[in-house]
Amino acid sequence: MKTALLPDGLTRTLAGQVLAFAVALSLGAVIILLIDENPVTVFMTLMRGAFGDAEKIAGTLLQTTPILICGIAACIGLRGGMFNVGIEGQLFLGGFAAAWVGFAFALPPVLHVVVAIACAILAGAAWVAIPAFFRVRYGTNEVVSTILANYIAILLTSYFTIFLFKRPGGWSETPPILATAYLPELFSFSRLNVGLLIGLFLAIATAVFFRWASTGYGVTMVGSAPKFAEYGGINVRKVGFGVLLASGAVGGLAGGVETLGVHHRFMEGFAPGFGFDGLIAALLANGSPIGTIFTALFFGALRAGSLLLEVDTTASREIITVIQALIILAVSADLMMRRRGDRTGERRWKF
Amino acid sequence: MEVLSTIFNVALIVATIRTTAPILLVALGGSFTTKAGIFNIGLEGQMLIAAFFAVLGSIWTGSSLGGLVIGVAAALVFALVFAVLVISFRANEVVVGLALNILAGGMTISLMKAIFGTRGSIVGRGIVGLPKVQIPGARDILGPYAQLISGYTPLIYVAFIAVPLLILIYGRTRLGLYIRVVGEKPEAAEALGISIAKVRYTAALLCGLLAGLAGAHMSLGYITMFTENMSSGRGFMAVAILIFSGGDPWRVLAGCLLFGFADALSLRLQTFGFPSYLVLAVPYTVALTALFALSWKARPKLIRETIETMQRALSVHPAKSETPDTRSNRS
Repeated sequence: MKTALLPDGLTRTLAGQVLAFAVALSLGAVIILLIDENPVTVFMTLMRGAFGDAEKIAGTLLQTTPILICGIAACIGLRGGMFNVGIEGQLFLGGFAAAWVGFAFALPPVLHVVVAIACAILAGAAWVAIPAFFRVRYGTNEVVSTILANYIAILLTSYFTIFLFKRPGGWSETPPILATAYLPELFSFSRLNVGLLIGLFLAIATAVFFRWASTGYGVTMVGSAPKFAEYGGINVRKVGFGVLLASGAVGGLAGGVETLGVHHRFMEGFAPGFGFDGLIAALLANGSPIGTIFTALFFGALRAGSLLLEVDTTASREIITVIQALIILAVSADLMMRRRGDRTGERRWKF
Repeated sequence: MEVLSTIFNVALIVATIRTTAPILLVALGGSFTTKAGIFNIGLEGQMLIAAFFAVLGSIWTGSSLGGLVIGVAAALVFALVFAVLVISFRANEVVVGLALNILAGGMTISLMKAIFGTRGSIVGRGIVGLPKVQIPGARDILGPYAQLISGYTPLIYVAFIAVPLLILIYGRTRLGLYIRVVGEKPEAAEALGISIAKVRYTAALLCGLLAGLAGAHMSLGYITMFTENMSSGRGFMAVAILIFSGGDPWRVLAGCLLFGFADALSLRLQTFGFPSYLVLAVPYTVALTALFALSWKARPKLIRETIETMQRALSVHPAKSETPDTRSNRS
């Protein structure tokens, strides 16, 4: 074992994560037993559904893409000390904005994609701007305001889709976008597209930004020690606002990539839960963009596997949501952490 | 015409009372955790799981009371998990709360598929709804206005009676005092020898109890069915109310009446042919607007209090009476 090479804290963190995973998976197994399924069968079906053949792996990566981009959005927020739970809403508005540009305007091939993506980013950022403003100016809790904004965003996009832009004869969806706005696909046998590369690039860029840029260091300090950052001459409010805006922009991008790359139209409920999955992936990776690549892949595999699960067994695909939630609960408890004796001190969970 | 408008108004008030009750119950539950200094975003999940198990329990036991008990028990289990993780393991409240909400959503759907073999919703199948309480003599005295006070499910009365009850608990009982001290000045509570963990556990479980009642009312009250994610953000609205009310029962009531009214009005607007999606967004928009508006208004007070606290901290002669009891009574 190479544990001696790792710092003591890291060993404990890794051991804690492994233990948390074990606890979560065994609890998940108990719940699977409760619904009259064999945990081993469920697990094997999930694995087969996620990695069975090249097509399945491409399917996993296809599911990973929006989770990864949403995860990066959450990472940016978490690093700046902001819980952007509204990624789901930003995703929906971004998706709708991109689809609207895609079907309403005729533009040359590459430009069309760029404009549509830009609109998606703008829509995401605009949607988070009001909660962000009240958060930094008046201290309004951003968790609740962004959650409530999610519901409004989803209903609003449904309204746009069904009452304003419904495809004639279609089932609650907009007209398809023009072929010029399609994101290029990577393989012939799957809808997997360059969105995945965008996500990977974004993850690396964000990691580099937080690791080496002085602004990135400032953002991390605002998130973990706002007083220190303020004494260091950082405008905490401005940074906080920027962090939420950037997070919302990336959330909008995720929606744009999803409509332009996968569905080629906007449908009601087109991306259920990707925003939340992204947030969970980012939390599981403790706010690290590179770590989010792996956690997003894990959740993408679960999602892809769950499609086969619903076909092959009687279990519902929501069982993976249960497993995800259990993992987060187990990890958040951080079973290996040494706890201080008193009960009044500051809360943990710092980045 | 005048009679018609009167009846319309009475009906709207009745609808408001009906829609207010569940959100009032859950918000009052959250008031305990808010006062005890815990930010409980998991109300939504507790309501949802209670709604599901209430339906399940009423089918199993064949009685609405059995459903109520089992639903509340499920919510208490969730509240206990929340308390163990947040209080004993000191996990982040927001993370645990959100995870429990997600868990509730996934678990109800999985269990529904496993037990009933369906997706979407459970209707019929022997679900027993809560009975309606007819207050004797109300019709004779009040005539058409009788429906204002009579004919609701028992939980609606419980919800509205709970408001003064909570004020009594906070103002007149040892538990209420401890909860407030633990929330406002944990250091002082520790110095007084109050077990912070014990008080917070109690608050979290009381919260689970009321959230469970709210959830049971959702699925066994006026609609006897369970639908996927049927709490649809009511728990989050309750959290919004708790943020701008600070957990004070009267303000919670005022906030809940506002949402109940918005909810009742939006249902009414739907029948007038407004696009249903926009109408459904009304309660959320009201919640969000109220959250923003009140946080903006609360600003000067916040500054004032900060200045007061700083003056007190800086003053050479601290006032003799600044014990936790008097501090918390003042607010």
